[in-house]
Amino acid sequence: MFKTAVRAARPAALAARASTKSSTSALRAFSTSVRVSSGGPPPPQLYGEGAKAGTVPTDIEQATGLERLQLLGELEGIKVFDDSPLDASRIGTKASPVLVPSYDVERIVGCTGSPADSHDVLWFNVRKDKQSRCTECGSVYALDFQGEEHAVHHH
Amino acid sequence: MNKTIFKFQHFPFHLVDPSPWPILLSFSLLNLTVGAVTYMHGFTYGGYILSLGFILTTFCMVLWFRDVVIEATYLGHHTKEVKNGLMIGVLLFIVSEVFAFLSVFWAFFHSSLSPAIEIGGSWPPVGITPLDPFAIPLLNTFLLLSSGAFITYGHHALIAGNRKAAIDGVILTIVLAVIFTGLQYFEYSEAGFTMADGIYGSAFYASTGLHGFHVIIGTIFITVSLVRIINYQLTTKHHNGFESSILYWHFVDVVWLFLFVAVYFWGNT
Repeated sequence: MFKTAVRAARPAALAARASTKSSTSALRAFSTSVRVSSGGPPPPQLYGEGAKAGTVPTDIEQATGLERLQLLGELEGIKVFDDSPLDASRIGTKASPVLVPSYDVERIVGCTGSPADSHDVLWFNVRKDKQSRCTECGSVYALDFQGEEHAVHHH
Repeated sequence: MNKTIFKFQHFPFHLVDPSPWPILLSFSLLNLTVGAVTYMHGFTYGGYILSLGFILTTFCMVLWFRDVVIEATYLGHHTKEVKNGLMIGVLLFIVSEVFAFLSVFWAFFHSSLSPAIEIGGSWPPVGITPLDPFAIPLLNTFLLLSSGAFITYGHHALIAGNRKAAIDGVILTIVLAVIFTGLQYFEYSEAGFTMADGIYGSAFYASTGLHGFHVIIGTIFITVSLVRIINYQLTTKHHNGFESSILYWHFVDVVWLFLFVAVYFWGNT
């Protein structure tokens, strides 16, 4: 559903891009901001149709980029950015670790034991190929890798 | 869905790109301050240094604003979480401004509540003819309060999607703000005391002058919002810059009420 919504925006986006091509390149030429993303394709462009002349645009008409992604996700009932805490109802074991969903090959986890806030927060990395254990309570965490193997890892 | 969103960054926060504006603006402001001091103390070429400071500061401001507009409107970096962070930043900034004004009011009350024998044991000091609070200051109070009403009108019009009313409301706000600044300038030039001739003038100009600077900054802030409304950059729901300028304007408004009651009215009797 969400995918189709994003897809549906593509033709309009491409048209908008084509029509503003000259102004976009002018914008780039004078831009002082440096893209620090290294390698990989740029994220797909998301455009709305824009406001009609003489009106105030709404978010759905005008929002672009991540803002639009979040907005389209909300319309579909999808939380694009997952900010819910990890499962703290149990201590993870090697046989049954606490899973850390991730689009990247590595995530930083802050453990406070089980139940939550049982001990001071301890931060450590959880990598795709190796489980990690909290040195305070011994809870084991493993990465639940959901991204693509060679996707862009950098912001 | 995963396939679509993994192409975007996985977190809602905006990691800003390297920017030249913080350091360049710092040096421009240093230039502006040094220019102001040299000019006001009559140094040779002080006016040139001050003018250069104004030009450089304006230059950095415009280009920095332009970068932020690109990031917000054209690149869509300002997600809900980013907007939340920006709003917290503005509120904390206004809190710090409140305390800056608190210190100026403290200085005023320190000298006026228990006037020293050197100034005749009275406030206003012996020989000082203060301004009539019910002449221009009262008019200015009405001007600022009306401008606050007009900007609320403009804000609600923007939320309701009424472009023309939004622009009209904001323009009227700016007009009233400019008249206020003009009247303050007129009154400063008519006043019978200066910043350098005693504690009354020092406390008066330090407090009302600091407020005057904030009115000018607020006017620029609102003018930038007006330009962004005219350029279709602000939407009915996403206009943090405009909201920040409104908050700032109301803050300036409230400070004036305290100034009017304490410095102009109470300090006159």
